[in-house]
Amino acid sequence: MRPDVTSSHAPTTFLRRLAGSVLRSQQIGLLLVLLVLGAALTLAAGSHVDPQTGKTINNFLNTYTLIQMATDASAFAIMGVGATLVIIAGGIDLSVGAIYALTGVAMAMVLRAAGPMSPAATVALGLGTCVTISLLCGLANGTMVIGLGVHPFIITLGTMWILRGVAFVISRAESILVPTSLTAVAKAPLGLGTALYPVPLLCMLAVTAAGAVYLSRTVMGRHVFAVGGNPEASRFSGLNVPRITLGVFVLSGLAAGVAAFLGAAFYGSATSSDANGYELYVIASAVVGGASLSGGKGSALSAMLGAVLIVTMRQAIRTLHLDQNYEWIIIGAAMIVAVVLDQRGSRLLAGRLAKSA
Amino acid sequence: MTVPRVRFTGITKRFVGIVALRDVSFDVTAGACHAICGENGAGKSTLGRILAGVHTADDGTVEIDGAPVRFASPRDALAAGVAMVHQELAFCDNLTVGDNLCLGHLPRRFGLVDEHALRERAHALLAATGAPIDPSRLMSSLSVAEQQLVQIAAAVGAGARIIIFDEPTSSLGDAEAKRLYALIGTLRARGVTQIFVSHRMPEIFALCDTVTVLRDGQHVATQSASGLNEAALVRQMIGRDLGEYFPVHAGMPRGPERLRVEHLSSPGKFADVSFSVHAGEVVGLAGLVGAGRSEVARALFGLDRAAAGSVFVNGERVNINTPRAAMRHGFGLVPEDRKRQGLVLGMRARENSTLPSLARFARAGWVNRGAETSAVTKSFARVGLRAGHESLATSLSGGNQQKVVLAKWLTADSDLLILDEPTRGVDVGAKAELHAWIDQRAAQGGAVLLISSELPELLTLASRILVLRDGRICGEMTREQATQDGLLRLMAGIS
Repeated sequence: MRPDVTSSHAPTTFLRRLAGSVLRSQQIGLLLVLLVLGAALTLAAGSHVDPQTGKTINNFLNTYTLIQMATDASAFAIMGVGATLVIIAGGIDLSVGAIYALTGVAMAMVLRAAGPMSPAATVALGLGTCVTISLLCGLANGTMVIGLGVHPFIITLGTMWILRGVAFVISRAESILVPTSLTAVAKAPLGLGTALYPVPLLCMLAVTAAGAVYLSRTVMGRHVFAVGGNPEASRFSGLNVPRITLGVFVLSGLAAGVAAFLGAAFYGSATSSDANGYELYVIASAVVGGASLSGGKGSALSAMLGAVLIVTMRQAIRTLHLDQNYEWIIIGAAMIVAVVLDQRGSRLLAGRLAKSA
Repeated sequence: MTVPRVRFTGITKRFVGIVALRDVSFDVTAGACHAICGENGAGKSTLGRILAGVHTADDGTVEIDGAPVRFASPRDALAAGVAMVHQELAFCDNLTVGDNLCLGHLPRRFGLVDEHALRERAHALLAATGAPIDPSRLMSSLSVAEQQLVQIAAAVGAGARIIIFDEPTSSLGDAEAKRLYALIGTLRARGVTQIFVSHRMPEIFALCDTVTVLRDGQHVATQSASGLNEAALVRQMIGRDLGEYFPVHAGMPRGPERLRVEHLSSPGKFADVSFSVHAGEVVGLAGLVGAGRSEVARALFGLDRAAAGSVFVNGERVNINTPRAAMRHGFGLVPEDRKRQGLVLGMRARENSTLPSLARFARAGWVNRGAETSAVTKSFARVGLRAGHESLATSLSGGNQQKVVLAKWLTADSDLLILDEPTRGVDVGAKAELHAWIDQRAAQGGAVLLISSELPELLTLASRILVLRDGRICGEMTREQATQDGLLRLMAGIS
């Protein structure tokens, strides 16, 4: 951070500092777990010979599977970044799955009503609808949380049912197709081979980067940490606590809207039962990423890694041909283990650093 | 030679980034009242916590009656007869006094809690310590002093032979402290060994027979209190002579009026409060606990929506109903409860000190870390804070935490400071520095409203002292008129 490194021993101190900050970073444990899991899967998955090229391809470590996993992870990760903001501020948002469903359905209906348009206009209208609807949903959550003084768990549990119900009623439970011009954007190959769609992956990285920058470099981000860490002291420091709370719920809603746009565009349709139960995967991603449910702690990058970890575990069941019926049991157990390991690991690391200091 | 009740040998304890204790060895005689003193951050609380099983030592041994012990938890320690009365009181606020006293061993009947036996037992425990508290009251309804008595009753009830008091009087009024002293005398007569972690000189000399001094985590001396005087003890604690602090500024002509308050009232808290503070002036606000001092401070800082009355800043009537509005008019509040209201403990010192003013170091919402860091460096230097920018607030000593809170308002350029008990729980060295800082702040043209329960502090720093009783201003004294005795009479309403 401080450019005061003298030139004579600059390289070693720089490397040391870099190594130190990597080792100290919250993400190191999660990253190690992911790498170990990935390596184990690569070894255990076996390989097959591609009939067209004659090359041997690992059943896990291949471009197709990895991009597929990133696509699966993108929805959890994008919403996970939003959920992380809410959790850092000391709240919780259970309604993101419902916001996803309502936003997707609303967009599909708006586009159906608008009729055929140029591809650019279609994308603009679709994205605009998603952003507007999801912002309104987030605004509703936030307004009720600060205005009614009820715990966000209860408010968003309520809106979770209400919003999904609205999606169900307005769509009459139909699956509504979205124009192919949207799918063309979400499935743009961007120079990769056929059946490889990197857009969700890129969106996930972009949202994570935006979340990370927001949290670490902006005034608002700092205030989110302060409010979650100690709302009383934040108030005594002149922060507008209600507005900051409102802000995180709006951003969480927006994240769900972005995920819904991407999802509906990618899969070509939207229904009111989309993203059913996603809120728990999303919260799990944030928590596996080290966010503290008591507020004041969390990171966007970790939430993304958390989402990737959860998807990797689901993939492991498929790759290793385990019985799919055990998926929930495995994921549930693994989530608890991951969180416990993360807490123990960071305590151990802190102890090490204390001794070496 | 008799076996000491407690023997510390080579105790070393490290926390993230700091060594709290380094090779500390000394004995505590059975039945003694043994003071452990030192500045904040000297490691005295840590040592107490190691004995009480809250922390475990990294190196060294603790022996009780000659047998080495190693407590993994406060429960272990209690089983061996060691209890600690904490600085931060640890109770379940939502339960009754009786429930809290019997929490570890609730009496049962047919598998249900035996309410009758519970009340009996709680009553007996409280009676044994002479605490007139009804066991069926909710814990949250007790004052800090009463909660402390309950904690002592719990310790005695559990059969503690060694009780560690961690700064027990830091949040007590004079009368309440006296009651605690009496209780300490009673316990001593019963042969309980008491370890008194404190840096308050008068009580150390009044209560303790042996004094151990720690400095920067190291043992300086263990000596009999009778051969010691205050000056010598302070010298041991801070490692140098502490010049008696004389305010430079006191008595200098005051500047124009900065703040005028007229008929400020808040239902149920205070009524018809009027006063003014001029530039270059420290005005003291005295009163007993509960007289409404902090409530006035909160109202001035926009934290009391119900408050009504007129507030004038620089002669202009202002409408302050949020802290943000108060800050715009130059107010800064150093609150009464540093840990709950002053700091976000999980954040760094730097982040805490720029919390109210972060927007100044940002363009379009983006924080300029370089500008922030240089401002923090400057304000930390001005409050004399020597801890690192990146230390977590929770790891700082009380004095350093308070300096971070002061730095908050320096960074925000506040010149209308409301200081609510700014030196509570702060050690002697840091206290002198804080006093010098407050005086200097006024000398530079700042206006300061100083709330304090320590009359000597008000008498040294303030040019005028207002006395609040039952929510009303009942008197005002200039520095020349004011005496400790006169103030106390006004505060208590004795003519």
